[in-house]
Amino acid sequence: MNSDHQLRRVTRRHLFQRCSIGVAAIALAALEDACRVSAADDLKLRHPLEPKLPHFAPKAKNVIYLFMAGGPSQLETFQYKPKLAEWNGRPIPENYVAGKRFAFMDSSHGLNLLGSKHSFKQYGESGAWVSDLLPHTAGIVDDIAIVATCKTDLFNHAPAKLLMNTGSGQFGRPSMGSWITYGLGSECHNLPGFVVLQSGPRGPRGGAVLWGSGILPTTYQGVPLRSQGDPIVNLSTPPSIGEVQQQMLVNALRELNEKRLADTGDEEISTRINAYEMAYQMQTSAPDLMDIRGESRATLDLYGIKDPAEASFARNCLLARRLVERGVRFVQLYDTNWDHHGGTTENLEQHLPEKCRDIDQPCAALIRDLKQRGLLEETIVIWGGEFGRTPMGEVRESTGRNHHIDAFTMWFAGGGFKAGQVYGETDEFGFGAVDRPVHVRDLHATLLHLLGLDHQRLAVRSQGLDFRLTGVNPAAVVKDLLA
Amino acid sequence: MMRRQVLSLAVLLLVQRGALCAAEKARADEVRFNRDVRPILSENCFACHGFDASAREAGLRLDTRAGATSAQAGAAAVVAGDSGKSQLIARIMSSDDDQVMPPPHSNKRLTADEKETLRRWIDQGAVYEAHWSLALPRRPVLPPISWTDHPIDRFIQARLDQEKLAPSPLADAATLIRRTSLDLTGLPPTLAEVDSFLEASAIDAEAAYHDLVDRLLRSPHYGERWGRWWLDQARYADSNGYSIDAPRQIWKYRDWVIEALNADMPFNQFTIEQLAGDLLPGAAESQKVATGFHRNTQINEEGGIDKEQFRIDGIFDRVATTGTVWLGLTVGCAQCHDHKFDPIEQREFYGLFAFFNSQDEPAMKVFGPGVDVDRLTAEFAEAERQAHAYVASRASELATWESGLTPEMKSGLSPEIEMILALPPERRTGEQTRTLFAAGFGEDPSFRRLHDRLWELDEALNRPVTTLVMAELPQPRKTTVLINGDFTRPGEEVAPGTPAALHPFPPPSGRPTRLDLARWIVSPQNPLTARVIVNRIWQQYFGRGIVETENDFGLQGAAPSHPELLDWLAVEFMERQWSLKEMHRLIITSHTYRQRSADRPELRDADPRNYWLGRQQRIRLDAEIIRDVGLAASGLLSPRLGGPPVYPPIPAGVMSQGQVAREWTVSPGADKNRRGLYTFAYRASPPPFLNVFDAPDGVSCCTRRIRSNTPLQALTLMNDAAFMEFAVALEQIIKKDGLETAFRRCLARSPEADELAVLKRLDALTAARTLLNLDETVTRD
Repeated sequence: MNSDHQLRRVTRRHLFQRCSIGVAAIALAALEDACRVSAADDLKLRHPLEPKLPHFAPKAKNVIYLFMAGGPSQLETFQYKPKLAEWNGRPIPENYVAGKRFAFMDSSHGLNLLGSKHSFKQYGESGAWVSDLLPHTAGIVDDIAIVATCKTDLFNHAPAKLLMNTGSGQFGRPSMGSWITYGLGSECHNLPGFVVLQSGPRGPRGGAVLWGSGILPTTYQGVPLRSQGDPIVNLSTPPSIGEVQQQMLVNALRELNEKRLADTGDEEISTRINAYEMAYQMQTSAPDLMDIRGESRATLDLYGIKDPAEASFARNCLLARRLVERGVRFVQLYDTNWDHHGGTTENLEQHLPEKCRDIDQPCAALIRDLKQRGLLEETIVIWGGEFGRTPMGEVRESTGRNHHIDAFTMWFAGGGFKAGQVYGETDEFGFGAVDRPVHVRDLHATLLHLLGLDHQRLAVRSQGLDFRLTGVNPAAVVKDLLA
Repeated sequence: MMRRQVLSLAVLLLVQRGALCAAEKARADEVRFNRDVRPILSENCFACHGFDASAREAGLRLDTRAGATSAQAGAAAVVAGDSGKSQLIARIMSSDDDQVMPPPHSNKRLTADEKETLRRWIDQGAVYEAHWSLALPRRPVLPPISWTDHPIDRFIQARLDQEKLAPSPLADAATLIRRTSLDLTGLPPTLAEVDSFLEASAIDAEAAYHDLVDRLLRSPHYGERWGRWWLDQARYADSNGYSIDAPRQIWKYRDWVIEALNADMPFNQFTIEQLAGDLLPGAAESQKVATGFHRNTQINEEGGIDKEQFRIDGIFDRVATTGTVWLGLTVGCAQCHDHKFDPIEQREFYGLFAFFNSQDEPAMKVFGPGVDVDRLTAEFAEAERQAHAYVASRASELATWESGLTPEMKSGLSPEIEMILALPPERRTGEQTRTLFAAGFGEDPSFRRLHDRLWELDEALNRPVTTLVMAELPQPRKTTVLINGDFTRPGEEVAPGTPAALHPFPPPSGRPTRLDLARWIVSPQNPLTARVIVNRIWQQYFGRGIVETENDFGLQGAAPSHPELLDWLAVEFMERQWSLKEMHRLIITSHTYRQRSADRPELRDADPRNYWLGRQQRIRLDAEIIRDVGLAASGLLSPRLGGPPVYPPIPAGVMSQGQVAREWTVSPGADKNRRGLYTFAYRASPPPFLNVFDAPDGVSCCTRRIRSNTPLQALTLMNDAAFMEFAVALEQIIKKDGLETAFRRCLARSPEADELAVLKRLDALTAARTLLNLDETVTRD
């Protein structure tokens, strides 16, 4: 049936053109036309974020990563160091710092230790120490695993953030969220698989590369959901276009693209047809997601949200829960301005407590909310910055601390993490690990493991090398962190 | 009747081809090192038994025959001709976890076929071959193919014959003109161009096509389209990168690329000027502008950093980029250790590093061709002298005016004038006195004339456009190996030099410079550069290079699908004086390029990824070109060439996502409708419509764009304000000239009846939006 139609299309001019490639080619091409089946018959629509099987049975499905951009001080929050207070104002013993390099070394920050002014108490069955800056977090210590000995390689913000997100301080590598959506796809078909939410006075240092897809297709890059205007760039139908017109556009495109698919047999067209369907659905589903007026007062109070329309870290935490509820694979929250060097706008006296107030209740609420909805078991929650702060102080009219990469604190909850423990131990000043250091690479390996992915096997070939989130240096799953 | 005839011909042909198979089979049994064995060894063995001496286990190297066959403790890994005595075979066959190779912890495993290949290779004598890309290309004999004289088609047909496949018929004329226009200029053909091409093709298709190619290669838009191809590799963007990402001025380099390509500057010259234009004897301004190539590295302006660390990072990038762009080698892998796979020692990496370690990194004023700076300087001095003399001649009037100023009048003057007034007259500079005179007697016609002339000269001399260039330090910096690539750990001192495994570096008189390096790269003795570049051109036309790993011609790279064609093209390139335009002409006049792109059932089964090119390849257009097609189809395009980057409308809020929010004031007038490549590109917050269609961000060298296909692209084409403007303009065209015209402006071809029927159901604006969103509109068929 089709063949006749095709043959009729072989006009004299077509034949003439074909002659230039010889009789043999005409013969085969005509044979091809005669045998041709319509590509639409076996039309398989492919979804770009189709869920994929992990390497082995996973503990967790989704991830929420609460990124405290700038590097929160572990010594004011989770690391109780009485010796540090005792030595306040005295130089750190030489053996700690010999051969070490620090950021801002050319300025006059000195090597004098700075004790914390905050009071610490032990909480929960685990007896974890938490300072008075994080009273709500203190209430969930049995639901989280606090890692005291996190270690990174780079001490400037942008490179360190890259390392935490991509496993490398160099640009151009895929971020963790990209690797995970690449490895697992997403179970949500009307929202992106990897979503980024931001709070704080400005964007994080490093910008879009932190959620970039590097050598992976941009299908897997993080999509920032914005708190003002369209949540996704170009999400709204243009103002002059009616709903019916938009629907007609999508329908006409499908019809014409399907015809082209039948004519060419190019599977990219089926992907594009699907992309338009998903985009059209997103136009409804993304605003629905962002509209939290339907949440109960109790839920809003739990997170500390006063005005549901106001952008805040608290609102982003609630949105994160709504995203994983909808099957979104990886949600990353950036909260900026955690870089407390001292000085008039970034000190430990005023600004760190303010930041802690912004995030403390929402973080705890997120854990509680996920738990009561049965989502915590399948959702990993991560809290931390790109590095920590030095035990030595930067003392001006107010105080602060410099960047420190040898021992900083992060916490992990849900999704197969063994909660109610403090992992690793630092020395009496909190300068370095004395027991069980955990490198960023090990954290990455552990995270992937809980998602059912082998960090050695999740690799992509580029320039003759197998690129991995954990790179080429040895990395190990931290077994004691697993439930 | 016709149908029966062609069918019987086809059957005959298939029978003939069957007879060829036996001879081919015998050839296929012979194991070839480069084709069959090296990929297995490289993938599974070389990391521990290869070139990198420090990572070598058990003292065994398998990358050389001497290493593989030398006996250790009475046994050799490879005993040529006797797989039974070869330890390599024993170990890969072992079922003991402690014995088996590759070891279980490597996560690598050989397949039964791979083991069999290694066994046969050893039994056949364990012959090693030099890696193909390190041997000079020689012009191969053209395969005898009856139906064509075109060299490319003869190589392609010879390979298709082996696979028993036929090429596809020629694409129709409308597809051809759109394909060729997009590929050569990045713009769709106008309706008039389509009509005249269809007409000419009906008379003489061959002549019409050659005329078309001639016209397109002469178009100044050729330089824009292929300029962007080069700018990807040069990692060009308009900002400093990292987190602060302040704007920078280097667009003169971008314009230099466009102009050089339009003039078909030979690629060897093109190379030399970019790597070392400043070192050429009597270097012209444009040759210095060209050195902006290696100033496209990022600059970190973050607080608290060690500047030296980022200077070194910039040089690492320059070495790696030079290696990738011109040599197709992953030189950067040898930054911290000897290369694991390719013959590049860490020392040799720093030999290359040394060429790039002694530069000053200035911004240079660009006066443009024909401007005599010395004359300008003299004229400026003269004009200044005249103005001062005139002011001095009226000193008493100035003093009178000054003494008549009341405090109220003074407070109405600018702070600068107030400051000058505060100085006693004898302590004022000539310029200050002149400024004061302008405040009091600005309308004086004689003064005005002198002043305006001075201003004009000042503008030309002191405020021209600047661009980032390379310049050599008077005293070279000392270069050492950096242990583990760590800039705080210097090792042994290294002199500038090139890797020993490549062609010899001619001993220079004195210390080798970047100019020596550039000349070494474009030497006819270099086995790599010509191959690498023709491969990257080929990739643009077929979606994949003859070597699929277009940035890795080393041992881990893919073998060429058509090695003889690649070598033929490389030799041709050099013999045609490195003319890029000639290479374009050669490729796009082939039948292989001009054939249809639609899939065919037998190709889908036999060659689903289209390695053997039995058809053309549909390719989604580059980000910038998607914009250009929208602009051109809707009649809005401002075709102006070159100049400062422009600011088309972008969605609100996207410039405040980085650490520092950046201004984005939409360009006035036609400038907002310039081609995509002129859009100002911040590295940290790239323009959304470019980013969403995979335009590279300029942070590292990009030799092949990803072509993703996502919902965010759909949202952009449907809803973005710029694309809405295109749609509204196209709606007007529909209303004025009809749907068919609008259709052809987007797709060149005429609509079929059922397509027109779908569009006719829509209002004009929706029809316009549909046309701009079609898969076919954003694709080169």
